Amino acid sequence: MSALLEMKEIEKSFNGSPVLKKVNFSVEPGEVHALMGENGAGKSTLIKILTGIYPKDGGQIYWNGEPVTVDNRKDAQALGIGVIYQELSLIPTLTVMQNVMLGKEQSKFGFVNARKMKKKVTELIEKYGFNVKADEVVETLTIAQRQTVEILKALSEESRLIIMDEPTASLSAKESDALFGIIEQLRKDGVSVIYISHRLEEVYRLSDRLTVLRDGVREAVLTKEQIIPGDVVRLMIGKELSEATASNSLRKSDAPVRLKVNGLTKKGVFHDISFEIHEGEIVGFAGLVGAGRTEVMRCIYGADSYDSGTVEFEGETLAKQITKNIRTGFGFVPEDRRNQGFTPLLSIEKNVALTNYDTLAKSGFVKAAAEKKLGVEMVDKLAIKPGDSQIPVGNLSGGNQQKAVLAKWLSRDLKLLIVDEPTAGIDIGAKDEIYKILESLAENGTSVIMVSSDLQELLRVSQRIIVMRKGGIFTEFSSGRITQEDVLMAESGILTKEGKADE
Amino acid sequence: MNKKMDIKAILGKSQRLWILVAVMLVLTVLQPGVFLTAANMKSILLSISVYGIMVCGTIFPILLGGIDLSVGAVAAAAGAFAVTWIVDHDFTNGAVIVGVLGGLLLGAVVGLIHGIIVTRFAVPPFLITLATQNIVYGVAQLLTENNVIACMKPESFAFLGGGRLIGIPFSIWIMLFMAIISYIILGRTVFGRNVYAVGGNAEACRLSGVRSRMVIITSYVASGLTAALSGIVLASMNRQAIAKAAQGYDNYVLTALVVGGASLMGGEGSIQGAVWGAFLVGVISNGLRLVGVASDYHGIVKCIVIVAAVALDAHVRFKKSGLQKSSSLFKKKAKA
Repeated sequence: MSALLEMKEIEKSFNGSPVLKKVNFSVEPGEVHALMGENGAGKSTLIKILTGIYPKDGGQIYWNGEPVTVDNRKDAQALGIGVIYQELSLIPTLTVMQNVMLGKEQSKFGFVNARKMKKKVTELIEKYGFNVKADEVVETLTIAQRQTVEILKALSEESRLIIMDEPTASLSAKESDALFGIIEQLRKDGVSVIYISHRLEEVYRLSDRLTVLRDGVREAVLTKEQIIPGDVVRLMIGKELSEATASNSLRKSDAPVRLKVNGLTKKGVFHDISFEIHEGEIVGFAGLVGAGRTEVMRCIYGADSYDSGTVEFEGETLAKQITKNIRTGFGFVPEDRRNQGFTPLLSIEKNVALTNYDTLAKSGFVKAAAEKKLGVEMVDKLAIKPGDSQIPVGNLSGGNQQKAVLAKWLSRDLKLLIVDEPTAGIDIGAKDEIYKILESLAENGTSVIMVSSDLQELLRVSQRIIVMRKGGIFTEFSSGRITQEDVLMAESGILTKEGKADE
Repeated sequence: MNKKMDIKAILGKSQRLWILVAVMLVLTVLQPGVFLTAANMKSILLSISVYGIMVCGTIFPILLGGIDLSVGAVAAAAGAFAVTWIVDHDFTNGAVIVGVLGGLLLGAVVGLIHGIIVTRFAVPPFLITLATQNIVYGVAQLLTENNVIACMKPESFAFLGGGRLIGIPFSIWIMLFMAIISYIILGRTVFGRNVYAVGGNAEACRLSGVRSRMVIITSYVASGLTAALSGIVLASMNRQAIAKAAQGYDNYVLTALVVGGASLMGGEGSIQGAVWGAFLVGVISNGLRLVGVASDYHGIVKCIVIVAAVALDAHVRFKKSGLQKSSSLFKKKAKA
């Protein structure tokens, strides 16, 4: 029996640091093969090599036993490899049929043969029982339906292998179930699926086999019977690392409560969120993408509205208005730094000043000298490089951009700072500096809420960790030392330590 | 001395302004004793004063990454309102005050409507101001009943566009005054800072507690106001109101702004640059006339020079630093 796909001893380095070290990976016909690993384990790189986005440094790809080269997206397509991207790549204003047939329109004398194309697409839809119609416009579809259009697109190219990267990240439970149904169908039809997901329970449910990558090395290949949740997590994290990065002893604070959230609910997004944050405390919020962490924080800050529940700040009901909350002593470092964190064309000085005009201006006029002084002060204090407050923030490196965003808030008297994925895309040195900044803030009495998907980071900085799952609070770790394993399992709905489950 | 430094800094920053210097040099050589004279400079300034006034307000929506295409129509309607009011009320000084204030109010209201529709209903500024351009032009036609309405009296009204102060036409003074006001607002006030910031990244500003909506609405009101003012000055200068009075001014204004270094993506541009840009357009028209080029060619030559100026500037900036290039690329991505 020959495998549909075989990748042998694949190697890849970026700037001299190896990302994939002689990785072997194979997929049988009609198999659902899960690919797992932490962020940075090499999953995406492996997939990008398979689809011709990155060239490989070493190794060989075999398709149906034949050695093949995949230099670009077209080569992959010609072999029969389809990819369903996380960021969907459909054209919203076109119909399902037009999207599916894009770039391979059937035509006669230069005129498209719409009827023929529609027939083809409709046949596919009927064959798999998809919940879309050929002439629906894509922008009117739900995310789940759009995903099925992506799958249709792959099927219409006669793909034998479909790669799905975190396909359920933005789907509801019901929609996910429908997707699993489709995957079952594909399997029956002999189409193979590479399934990348952080959601352990999905992986257990769907996969025939599972490959674990860690630090660019293939850690294990497990068959369905061998898949045991705890084992997989341990393989992903690695035993030594897991112990070396265990948390400090977590503790409950006895300082006065600063923020009290009670029963916060936004329909379809999160429900019944209740927690307290004390003065001078750093609380981590863990959870998978789509668990609702960012959404909760945005509502507390006043950036979005919620349906019910209360938010109290030092005993008083909090305004639903950003400007007022800032005056109360709130700070907010958003998840999407580039689009929400700063104004790229403006200098560090002017970005910092943006949140400080209540003190930097008098009757509408800016006190230019004070503005300048504050800019210089913050650049020094946070060691923003290069050390010139006049440089546009858009020209700084990621870590320094994030420091500039932090500077907007550190220049104020902060009582509560919410940071969302504070170190995403930042190098290790800058990460360390940012942790120190957060820690010194807390020492001086500021409460810090840190939403993060980086487990090491959560364990290192947090005094308590609240785990969110599917729009609710799943559990809270507030005593003893815990490991990445504990958090990761909780994110997937498995409790390893004492605590209360919500079901 | 400080001013000189300023000019040098501006020239250094925006290469396209060297074009202005080059064009002026060429004209000085070609037309010695004619081009570079006080009288000729004055006539150039006078010719640009009307849209020079407009630029001082229209720059606000541009800095936000928006646009105001209605300024020509608003100018015509405001001029028409002032003139018809004065004519209908016996050319008294009181009528002048009401007429002018009414015209300004009309501009402010149009701007307010733009601001509200852009912020509340998320209609693209291009679309809404294109629509109001036609609506307001219709209003101007209604006000003038599609006639040329002459208004030679009273002296107080004629002074706005036709009078002189210390030997310099009053409309030039108004332009300079408005430019200084704009300069101060943009450079020294919180509102001005917020305009640049919102133009660069509206969402980041909202999350930083900036009242982005108010900033946007105020900017469109400013644009409407200066458009109305320029229309009143134009009516006074021509001593008549006509619905087609300021036709094509939208283009002059945009040209001046873009030549002066404003980015249509928002966040970038200055009033100094815009005034220089307006001046370049004026200098080219003037030069073409002096050299004796038939007026049919003026539009063609003007636009070629302008495209060359902008292209050269973009090219030089692109070459000069990889950082600049990547930052503008990044900006496009952020906007998309």
